[in-house]
Formats: sequence, structure tokens, C-alpha cells
Amino acid sequence: MSPVEIPRDFHRLIVLKVNGESYPLAVRDGDTLLDVLRDKLRLTGTKKGCDLGACGACTVLLDGEPRNSCLILAAACEGKEITTIEGIGKDGGLHPVQRAFVNHGAIQCGFCTSGMVMSAVALVERNPDPTAAEIREALSGNLCRCTGYGRIVEAVKNWKRYESADQPPEHRGDLKKHDVVGRSVPRVDAVEKVTGRAKYAADLYLQNLLHGKILHSPIPHGVIKKIDTSAAEALPGVKLVLTGKDVPDITYGVSPARYDEHVLAKEKVRHVGDEVAAVFAVDEVTAERALDLIDVEYEELPAVFDPVEATKEGAPVIHEKSKNNINTVVDHHFGDVDKGFAEADLVWEEEFVGNHVYQSPIEPHASIAHWEDDGHTLVLYSSTQVPHYVHYMVARVLDIPLGRIRVMRPPVGGGFGVKAATTPLDLLTALASQKLGRPVKMVYTRKEMYLYGRGRHKQHMRFRIGLTKEGRITAVQSRIFLDGGAYTSFGVITAYYAGSMIPTLYYIPNYRYEGFRVMTNKPACGAMRGHGAPQPRFAFECLLNMMADELGIDPVEIRLLNAIDANTRTRNELDVRSCEFKATLTEVARETRWKEKYGKLPPGHGIGIGCGGFVSGAGYAIYRGQVQRSSEKTPHPFVKRAVFPHANAIVKVSEDGTAVVLLILAAEIGQGSSTVLSQLCAEALGVSLKRVRIRTEDSDICPLDLGAYSSRTTLMGGNAVVRAAKDVLKKLLGSVSELWGCSPEALEVKDEQIVEKGGEGRAMAWAEAARKYFNDNGPLVGTGWYKPPEGLGGDYKGAAVGTSPAFSFGSSVCECSVDLETGKVRIERFTDYHDCGTPVNPQAVHGQVEGAVVMGAGETIMEEVVYDEKGNILNPDLHHYLIMTMKDAPEIMSGVVDSYEPEGPYGAKEVGEGATLPVLAAVAHAIANATGVWVKELPITPERILKAMRATEG
Amino acid sequence: MKLVDVRFHAPRGLEEALALLEGLKDARVMAGGTDLLVDIKQGLREVRDIVSLHRIAELKGIEDEGDRLRIGALVTVRELASNAAVAKHIPALADAARSMASEQIRSIATIGGNISSAVPSADLPPPLIAADAGVELESSRSARRMSLLEFFTGPRETVCLATELLRSVVIPLPPPNTGISYFRFTLREASALAVASVACRITLKSGVVDRATVVLGAVAPTPILANKASRSLLGKNPSAELFREAASHAKEEAKPISDIRGCVWHRKELVHVLTQRALAEALERALGKAEVAE
Repeated sequence: MSPVEIPRDFHRLIVLKVNGESYPLAVRDGDTLLDVLRDKLRLTGTKKGCDLGACGACTVLLDGEPRNSCLILAAACEGKEITTIEGIGKDGGLHPVQRAFVNHGAIQCGFCTSGMVMSAVALVERNPDPTAAEIREALSGNLCRCTGYGRIVEAVKNWKRYESADQPPEHRGDLKKHDVVGRSVPRVDAVEKVTGRAKYAADLYLQNLLHGKILHSPIPHGVIKKIDTSAAEALPGVKLVLTGKDVPDITYGVSPARYDEHVLAKEKVRHVGDEVAAVFAVDEVTAERALDLIDVEYEELPAVFDPVEATKEGAPVIHEKSKNNINTVVDHHFGDVDKGFAEADLVWEEEFVGNHVYQSPIEPHASIAHWEDDGHTLVLYSSTQVPHYVHYMVARVLDIPLGRIRVMRPPVGGGFGVKAATTPLDLLTALASQKLGRPVKMVYTRKEMYLYGRGRHKQHMRFRIGLTKEGRITAVQSRIFLDGGAYTSFGVITAYYAGSMIPTLYYIPNYRYEGFRVMTNKPACGAMRGHGAPQPRFAFECLLNMMADELGIDPVEIRLLNAIDANTRTRNELDVRSCEFKATLTEVARETRWKEKYGKLPPGHGIGIGCGGFVSGAGYAIYRGQVQRSSEKTPHPFVKRAVFPHANAIVKVSEDGTAVVLLILAAEIGQGSSTVLSQLCAEALGVSLKRVRIRTEDSDICPLDLGAYSSRTTLMGGNAVVRAAKDVLKKLLGSVSELWGCSPEALEVKDEQIVEKGGEGRAMAWAEAARKYFNDNGPLVGTGWYKPPEGLGGDYKGAAVGTSPAFSFGSSVCECSVDLETGKVRIERFTDYHDCGTPVNPQAVHGQVEGAVVMGAGETIMEEVVYDEKGNILNPDLHHYLIMTMKDAPEIMSGVVDSYEPEGPYGAKEVGEGATLPVLAAVAHAIANATGVWVKELPITPERILKAMRATEG
Repeated sequence: MKLVDVRFHAPRGLEEALALLEGLKDARVMAGGTDLLVDIKQGLREVRDIVSLHRIAELKGIEDEGDRLRIGALVTVRELASNAAVAKHIPALADAARSMASEQIRSIATIGGNISSAVPSADLPPPLIAADAGVELESSRSARRMSLLEFFTGPRETVCLATELLRSVVIPLPPPNTGISYFRFTLREASALAVASVACRITLKSGVVDRATVVLGAVAPTPILANKASRSLLGKNPSAELFREAASHAKEEAKPISDIRGCVWHRKELVHVLTQRALAEALERALGKAEVAE
């Protein structure tokens, strides 16, 4: 080992003028403006999303012009006026552009918002009346993964309306049935986010903080022969180096039957990017330098990257436990498909190939850990969708009771499934801070996010459908290989979802699904929006459209013919209660004037339809048994009921009665759960929304909620919240009835007054009643919890996956044009109707749909993680992994149909994931309609379209 | 070498900058930095010293010198996109500038940087080459001038020495009846690199093509002239048929590679389509110019 060479930093003193103030600073020559703003000035409203100038989250104004602060050296900024999000407010209030963002629902996770606002402010300063096209051009360097962009365009277009006072716009589709539920109120966290004040995990700087960095495997498969960390340890500033031998032998993961990951690789590395060692040092740079000084000797093993190849005899074995690299096998057969196909007049079979896409939230994963109570209690901040599962998994790996861990979930800058599992960052910061007695912070770079993976499984699918000549489905059969990557993660569940969601839309008398999740030497795949279901749904819907054309039946008609109704038990034994699927079909056909267009458009113009639906919360928790350290549990057999409540809430009224604090661990990740839950709470209590404050970030304070996955929060969290609120109300009305000497049943709440029913009677202000309650009885607190109904699902293996208290339904129509000479697709208009039950916040519902449409459309035509032949990702950044920009996003019309879900709070169910499902097929169909050729492999790139067209030309 | 390890130099004048380049080993000139800083962050370049040009006034501004435009190396892409003289004389250059990257990047990235980085998919070189642009290089010892076409030697490789910097781009004003156009194909609408690009120039004389240039971008190690395509147009009456034939030559002359943005086959197809479209637009501009001249 060569002696440690400490590179010499070049420093200088500079004066930066930021938001009108001058700051003398010592900076390194190579420090970017972004790092100086964040790390030295703690102006953390400016976000680090990609650090390569591709996402725009770090946009600041330099002499009034928008710039990526990650691509400017601080040393070059002397003498310039730097304006950050913290500096644009006027007179202590919001800039009109900020107010427009808040009121137009232009903010979801909020992580892109600062940069987006800065670009918008720069635009309106030089062009106060921009057109939509000018806005889309000026803001196209700011990527947003949540909103689908349309509401941002609207906000900027209407910014002048907010120059004086707040003028909330009229909201389309607000319900008038309730006071708070059904109203498009601005999000409760919108102002925090639009001002840059919201502190995401990476924005937290604890005192005496250390920083960690991971050494990743450079090879796809190999045995670790030797690791020499001595040079890294000798580097001044390095406090700790960990390798596989220093971390617990306990495995972790997501699916309890297949915990197969170690915090750091123990013997083998299984993909490029696998975690080999970690360094903890006084700053990130020192930790990075130390990584270069770790010497690892590998014995490289043959690797396999294709799931079909991986199952063949003689293929490299990735895990000894998984014979032929087959991680999970599913064989579900309901009815008799052979009989069903024999009864059909038309049987078609086609192969489809999905794509490996990546969630790409704009916020990278981050964790910070420290120990309080003299080292007794771990405090872990994590940018996670599932604080409880992180809690459970960290307890398992550290082998301490859950009670000794406090999980903190700061605002999360988008997840879409990639933050639905415990990360190496969560575990490494916990372990390192325990050993070091100091807080430890770790943040992924954009590239590391791709190396960690957990994106969507690429599925190789063969679908077969049998139809009568009238178009009725007689049988459906699918055989799917899922490319799982090197670890299980969610994969078992993914493999089941790939089959279980197909029979939820149409009556399918005979159904068989064979699924094989296969391991390959690539980063593990996980759960992404629509989990396992979007690609099979794409394949099924495409095949149905092909066959409808063959039979001469309109694609909308064939769907109406087969669509299920409310109160249906599906062929795979899922119980659907509310279902307005048919209404979504007729509405979307009406809105788009489908019949006038389908088959009647000129070449190069297409219209297509796709449908989909999803669970409204998984019927069963991911792990079995009670909430308890896993090592203390006896093997727990599967029981057909929820063992513990999946959502729990506490409603606590302030002692003076004027405010309500709602406590629930529900994870706000941009989908709007904090707003929706606050609305449900206010509605159930009979108070205005502004009296409700929600606290969701601290597991010490907030009772357990399983988190933001399987589209569960509105229904499950909502039910718990409503029950907790009703518990409060019962106590409150009880005390007033005692005071007035009447029965509680004679009382009701109206306009924040407790009144005798029938009017004319006595009345007391809600707040006064609550204050009285505290003076007489102590804290006014209510609790509520929700368990999914008992007995969900069939009795076959894997029946639990796909069960849910409720199901959503949706139909989408895509209108596109295709350049027939180059193959380029322009998605022009997208129309979606969704059955989400009662929309608690219509604006939030439409925002979720619009985001799902743009994500799904991008997934269909441009997104894919690409590997070279050595397992290296060729596009691990947002320059080369293409997600739609504001200029690519179509116009979107999102509508909801009248629906009421009896199991949901005020009739509500999900929208977040379900809206993704129809998109892929609708886009594929529109392209086929425009070009005359079907491309059955995702993404449907210009190259593939052109090749398919040439192939038919002969 | 990490970005934090670099030494930053911000000379106040050209002379000082050139002296620095002479004296430093492994120094890199930085104009906007949008390529250089990304490369350093990704570990693609070893750089010890960065010589930033941002203070050097001599390198800024667009001069209309009567028979030519002189564009300083530090002129940003955004300036090119909105400059009146550029829009008037070489609208294809404004088209190329507008099509690039994003608003934020366009306001940092410079013409000098876009050329000097010599990325094969760069957008400014094809229309500049079609317009017969030359570049002026300067070191503390000498100055030289060459056509932009000669400047490029390979992907990310140019004739520019470590001690030299690109000072300005000089574009002769196109003669009457000349039209220049630029078309590119990308996989998304913004912040995307060209999969293939074509710039064309047509000068008409008495209704026939007197001069023609077809430049291809992103389909060879450097921007290249499609000579056969250009020659096939000479002396002929412009027509869709003629342009299709020229495009077929261009398709043959393209030497693309397959990468994540596109395969050889698709790139060649794109050259075929883009050449026809670019020629049609160049013709339209040439005719438009003629009308103005009359």
C-alpha cells in the first residue's frame, strides 16, 4: 500500500451576496455554489437532486437569471447577486408566484418546488404574461416527478391574480355534501414547501455530525478475498471503516421468507454497486477520499443478467438457496383454462416485454442516526415511505426492542416505491452512530440510487386470451418471468401482484398465471407504483385491443361487455365492494368523443384506450405476527385476519380548545396524505381545517401506521383518524350533555358549535366545550384504529397478495401523433376517469392522476435503465435516464365518477397507484392506432416503432 | 482528482489567462463549465487547475463587422438564441441554440465551450460549419485561424493545444439567396442530446443550386461534411426528388455508432429524414432571402 497522500485543498476567502446580505466565507476552490449555500449558509431551500445540472432542483438566480447552482463554483460568484428561494418573499410574505403554486395544487412532494419557483420567478420578471408554451420552455430544465406539470403551468400562467391578496381559484368538481371532505383545499404543507422551509432528511445538520459513504462493488459477481482498510483508517478525519465482518450476521430484506441481504456484503458481491464497505469521517469529502484508499481483492465469478438464461442448467448461482436462480414460483389456476380456450371462438397468444424503469424521485435517499438517553435510544431520521417497517427492520438487525428506537420521517421528496424498504443508509447510520457515539449522516448520490436499485421489475410476458365472437372472455393465461436482480426485496410480492391484479377488472371464468421471479446479477428490483401489475396490465389490455379489432368490436364496447360490477368476488377470490368501472369507461369515451375518432383518424394520429385498477391498501401486513422484535417471535402461521391494527391515530385537543393535533405515523411523501387525513379529521370533529395540525413524523409521538405503500393511507389511515375524531366527539358531547342535562344523542356539531338537534335549542362554541372538558376531566384525547376486514382472500398459497378492503378502477384514453418518418411520438392529450370513491380532496386526486399519467407515459415511451455486458448501468443519471420534462408532458383531463366505498372513510378509496395502471396500454394502443403496428416491447421508442413499421412494409 | 481538489484561477484579462495556461500543467479552460464540471464530478477528467474565463471582457459580445459576425467565446447559448444579428443572418444558429439543453444551462453554457468540448452530438457546430465559420485560437505565443471543420479531430478531441484557447468564432455573412437550416432528433423535448442532427446550406443562382453544404452531427466522431450529398445538389433545380437523392447519399456517408440513444440503423434513417427536411428549410430560407434582396 502506498503511503497515504492527502490531497491539498485550495481555499480562498470570498464574499458572497446572497438575498441582499453579504457573507464573508472561506471556501474550497472546487466548492459549488450549491454546497456553499447548503453546507455553509444552511440555506437548505435550494435542493440537491442530481448534482449534475439535470434536475433543476438547485436553481437559484444569479443576477436575475436562473442557474443550476450545482454547476457553478462559488469562487466564480463574487460580485454577483445571488437569490435563493429564501430571498424571494415580499414583505415577509409569499411571492405571488409562490401563492399561485399553493393555490393551484402545483406542489406535491415539494422537492422540486424551490427550483421550479425560481425558474418561474425569473420568467415572470422578464415576461409577466407568459403563454403556456413559454412557461413550458422556461421551466423545462426543472424536473418534477409528482405533478405531471399541468398545475405548475396553470400556477405560473395565473400568477398575477395573486399579486394582491389570496384569491383562491374556483375548483372544478368540489363536492358540497360535506364541510371539509370533498373540498380542494390547499395542502397543509404547501407553504412550508413553497418557501423552502420544509426540512427534508438531507437538510438536517445535527451538531457534531459525521458523514458516511459506501464503497460499492465494481464487479457484478464475485467472492471478496481480502479487504485492506488500513490506509483509509489512517487518513486524518476518518473515524470508522466498516466491512462485512463488522456488521451483524442477521439478514434483512422485505419479504420475511426471504431476508437475504446483509448490511455490508459478507462473502460475496452479487451486482455492481453491492455494498462492500463504509467509511465515516468528519465530512463527505474525507469519507469519499478514504473510499479510494480501501483495497479489495475479489475473485470474480461468472455473472448472468438475463432472467431466462439464469434459469438454465449451468448458469452462475447467485444465492445457494435459490436453485436455478428461481426466487419465487407462482402457479395459480382458477377454473379450467383448457376448457375456457376450447369454448372460445378466437384465441390469441402474444409475447410482451416490459422495461426496467426507475422511480427517480427528485429527492435522493438520506438517513441520519444518533443515540439519545445516554445511548439507550436510537433516533433515526430517514427519507422513507414506511417508517414502521424501517423501525421493525432496524430493530431486527440491531437486535434491540422496537421500544428503543425512535424513527423520524421528515418530509419525503417523492418515493413511488423506491423508499418503501429499509436502506443500507438506515442500517449503516444506526450502526456507525452506535459505535461512534456521534450523529451520522448519509445521503445517496443520484448514481448510488440506481446502484441501490429497487426499480420496477422487467417482465417477460406471454399472454393468451380466449374470446367468444361476441367478445366475451372465456379464459386468460399468462406466463411471466420477472427479472428480479440480486436480492429478493419485495420480489415475492411483486411476482404475486403480477397475477393477482388481472382478474379485478373483467369477469374471467378461467384464469391461470404462472410466474417466475428470477435472480440476476443486477441491483435488486422492488416495488414501484402499481407494484408488479402495470406491465401485465399493459400486455393484457394490448392483447384485448388487438383481438377486439380482429372481431370488429369497439375496444370500449368489449370492455363494457366484460367489466365487473360492484359486490363481485373475482375469480381469484378478491372481494370487490364499490365498483364504478363501467362508468369510468363510458365517461372517458364520452369526454374524448371516442366513437367519432377511433378508426377514423388520419395516418400518424392515434387514439387508444387502457384500463386498470388497484388495491386500496394491502389486506395483510408485510410481516406476520405481532409488532415485536423478529427474533423474539415464534414462527407465526398465516392467519386470515390482521393481527394488529394497520393504522392508528390519536386526536388531541389543545387545553384551550382552539386547536386539534392529529397524531398518526402516516407517511406524507408528496401524495397529500397529511392534507387528506387532516380534512377527514376536521370533518369528523365538525371543526374547520385550520384548527387541525397534523404530526406524522415521529414514532415516539405518532401511533403506528404502516406507511405509504399499496395505496393504503386514505382508506386505512383515514378510517383510524375518523374513529379517533369520533372518540373525541363522543367525549365532548358526553360532557356537554351532562352539563345541559340531555342525552348525547340530542346533540350535534354545526359550524363549530355544539347545538341541540333541531335548531332553536342551546348552543356552545366547540372550543369552549373542549376547554371546559379539559378543566373538568383532563386531556381531551381520542384514539382510533383500523384493521382490514377479517377473512380477506382465498385459501390458496399467495392468496393474501391482492386482497384489500376496496379496489379502485380507471379508464384512460391517450391521443397522440407519431412522426411516421422518424418514429417520434408526441402524446398530445390524455383523458382519465377514475373511481376513487369519494374524492376527499379533488385537487389532490387530480394531481395524483396527472402525475401518474406523465410517469406512466414516460415509462411507456422513453424510460429504461440500461446495462452493459458487465452489469454496469449506462444511464445512472437524469441526463441519460430520461423522464418527461414539462415540454413532453401532455395536456391531461382528469375526472372522477360518482362512487361510494362503504369500507372507506366518507366513502373514499385510493388513487395514487391505480391511476398508473391504464396508462401504458392506452399509450401503446394510441401509437398502434397511429402507425398500424403494435410494438410489444417497452419502452416504445422511435427506433422500435420505425423498425416495426418497416417490418410490415416487407 | 475530485472537484474539491481543483485550483481555481480567474484571470482578469486574456493575456493573464494565456500566461496561466502556459505556466500550468493539466490546466483546463472553463467557460460556462456545464460540460467540464459534470465531467470532473463524474470522474471522467483529471483536472488540477481550472482557468475560468468568466471575467475576461475581450471574450464577450457579438460584433457585426459588416461582412462577418464575430462571436466571442464567452457568448452564452441564451444570447445566441436571442441575438438580433444572429437571428437575421444565421437563423439556423439561433434555432440550434434554442433547441439545446434547458433554460438554466443555456444561460451558463457558451459557444466556446460547446465547440471546445467537441462532443459529437453538440448542436452549435453543424450550423456553424454550414455557415463556413472559422475559429480563432490564441496562445501567449501565437494566434491562428482555421475553419471550424478542421478544429475537430475526434470525440472530445480538437487541435486546440493545452496552452491555447478558442477566442472567437467568425462567421462570414451568407451571400444573397443563401439559406441555412438545422434539424435535430432527440428522445425528449428538452434537456436532450441529439441522436442525429443535420445542418444544410443552399445558395441559389438563377434558380439552380450554386453552392450546397450538408453537415451531419452525432453520427460520426466529429461533425462531418456529407460531400457526396452536397455535390449531388450542385447545378440542379431544387426539388423534393433531388433532396431525397441527396439524403440517400448523406445516409450512406453517416458513420454512426450504436449507443443508448440510438442504433446505427435508426441514426442512418434519421439522417435520411432530417437531411430532406433541412434541405427543404434551407431552400425556403434561400428563396425568402432572394425576395428580400429584390
